[in-house]
Amino acid sequence: MSSDRNEFVQYHFRDAIGGFFEFPTENARAILPPELQPIEPHHGSSVLSVMAFDFHDSPVGDYGELILSILVAPLIRPGAPMPRSAFYPFRLGTTTRESREHAIERWHLPHYMQDISIAWDRGDGHVTIHATDRGAPIVDMTVTEHEWSPVEHRYQSFMNDEEGAYTSTIIMAGQFSENEEERGGITIHSQAMTDLVEDWEVDFTPFRELWMKDGLQTFHPLQQLASYARR
Amino acid sequence: MATRVEAQTSMNALDYDYSSFFYSSSDDPFAILEPYNDWFNRALPQGYYLFAQPMSTPPQGEIHLVEGLHHDPIRLLNLSSYNYLGLSYRPEVVAAAQAALARYGLGAAGSPILSGTMDVHVALEEALARFKGKEAAMVFPTGYSTNVGLISGLMRPGDWILADQNSHASIVDGAILSKANVRFFRHNSPADLEKKLKTTTGKKLVAIEGVYSMDGDVCPLPELVAVAKRYGARVMLDEAHSAFVYGANGRGVAEQFGLEEEVDIHIGTFSKALGGQGGYVAGSKNLYNYLKGFARSRVFSCALSPVVTAGVLEALRLAQAEPALREQLWRNVAYIRRRLEEEGVDVGDSTSQIIPIMVRNDRRVFELGHKLLRAGLYLQPIIYPAVAKHRSRFRVSISASHTCDQLDEGVAILVRVLREEGILV
Repeated sequence: MSSDRNEFVQYHFRDAIGGFFEFPTENARAILPPELQPIEPHHGSSVLSVMAFDFHDSPVGDYGELILSILVAPLIRPGAPMPRSAFYPFRLGTTTRESREHAIERWHLPHYMQDISIAWDRGDGHVTIHATDRGAPIVDMTVTEHEWSPVEHRYQSFMNDEEGAYTSTIIMAGQFSENEEERGGITIHSQAMTDLVEDWEVDFTPFRELWMKDGLQTFHPLQQLASYARR
Repeated sequence: MATRVEAQTSMNALDYDYSSFFYSSSDDPFAILEPYNDWFNRALPQGYYLFAQPMSTPPQGEIHLVEGLHHDPIRLLNLSSYNYLGLSYRPEVVAAAQAALARYGLGAAGSPILSGTMDVHVALEEALARFKGKEAAMVFPTGYSTNVGLISGLMRPGDWILADQNSHASIVDGAILSKANVRFFRHNSPADLEKKLKTTTGKKLVAIEGVYSMDGDVCPLPELVAVAKRYGARVMLDEAHSAFVYGANGRGVAEQFGLEEEVDIHIGTFSKALGGQGGYVAGSKNLYNYLKGFARSRVFSCALSPVVTAGVLEALRLAQAEPALREQLWRNVAYIRRRLEEEGVDVGDSTSQIIPIMVRNDRRVFELGHKLLRAGLYLQPIIYPAVAKHRSRFRVSISASHTCDQLDEGVAILVRVLREEGILV
């Protein structure tokens, strides 16, 4: 594995799905660093993003990943392209130890420290994932498709750990579908990976469903921030 | 396995929208201006030019406007304006406004609580109260300021506002300004309203609309009122798009459902069916008196121009005196709805004079808008965040003043372009 911190890192995936769920902003503020502002689709409601990836080619081989994030205000820099959205991932689970250690070491992402399993149930116009930990359910989520089109979207991720605060640009390219038809759904089970979410009043119908197929996720080099407040 | 790749900078402008530029963080409040303008200048020729093209005629069936891309003056068939009863340019309305201009001058020159109230304002408020069958009605300078003033004037921190998730921005902004707790319930869902009400205590206000402006669907008023009453909540009903149009006497959806007494606060605007400007709150005299002191959007605004007020007063008289206007409107609605259904056009959940032409693709709606404009039809594309992502549509607004020929022509252009673009098969 390369250790050149100035290189872009690519992860190829078969499917990546996501759901955006509204939940009270007071819950979001409780876990966000104080300088990060949650996006509110409705006054008083923030956005919980639940995403699952099925990677088949990456620096750490094939693996699955489940990410719980909160949508936050993006960082604007003079002359830099505007990200489409910005995320603050607060809990990730992966199916392999190697992928977990890579993401912690390389991207400072906060992980659930057990290997999880992600089963993909691909149906006609929808896909459902069942994430489990040694047989115990974590998350079941279904998203549905809309029209497909090739896209290349720019996102921004904020991370922090005891070493500091970081950001990275992430480019997602592939066949993309999104909709707000409210046909999908999620069940978040009471489990160690979801303990932070347990008491939140999460709306279990996603107001937006996202799905990318045959895609490529490219991480730009990580940037350390003096703090979220003074960038 | 880490690889060096080119940084991508050629993102498509239509991958972004207004919501992309609402939130941002930096050390400078102006930091967002450059990225926003850079995006907007690229988005403009791709479709955003279709918004706010300046019109040089009244909002009638045929209009002239300066097209926004090449700035050419063009003639269009207009299916975009509200003006549901065609009163905006009625000679009686124009004459009343002209007479008021001669009598009062242009503006009220003061707040309605100080020197800005004129006898014509009082006359309009009294006429409205009689029309609505309420003790009192209060006139506001705009529909937006009506909801903002009412909600922020009545509700306080610690109170609860339960609003439909498709509520107009004026309801949302009034709720934010009040600093009350706000919960949005699923659109037109009494069950979700009940779920949300169950967890609230203290003062509660349920905010709903008679007809929703983007989908043209009507609220299930009896069910929503029943839930609200069960939990001791007051009900405000915004009839911006249903006042003077719905009900046997034009008193709106509340009249249609026979719930005029059960609804605690009646809201409406003059800018839709009456073709004017301004809004009103109708209810008890006690409510009127309280809002007079605490509806800050009214207290700290200049009163509605007496010219407009006089025009609205005449439009209100005509709307009451000529029920044939409503009948004609509903004939037109039935006619175009039938024509659209015959052609297989997707009109969503609409049952009203607002008929969405569903495209369900945020990118293609602009391409279609461009072609419709070139084909001679003026329709506004409606995109995210005004509606949900990829629930984009064109919004058809029908008026009593449309002729069948105009409606036929509109449908013919629409169907032709939808077919050419593969939206309609």
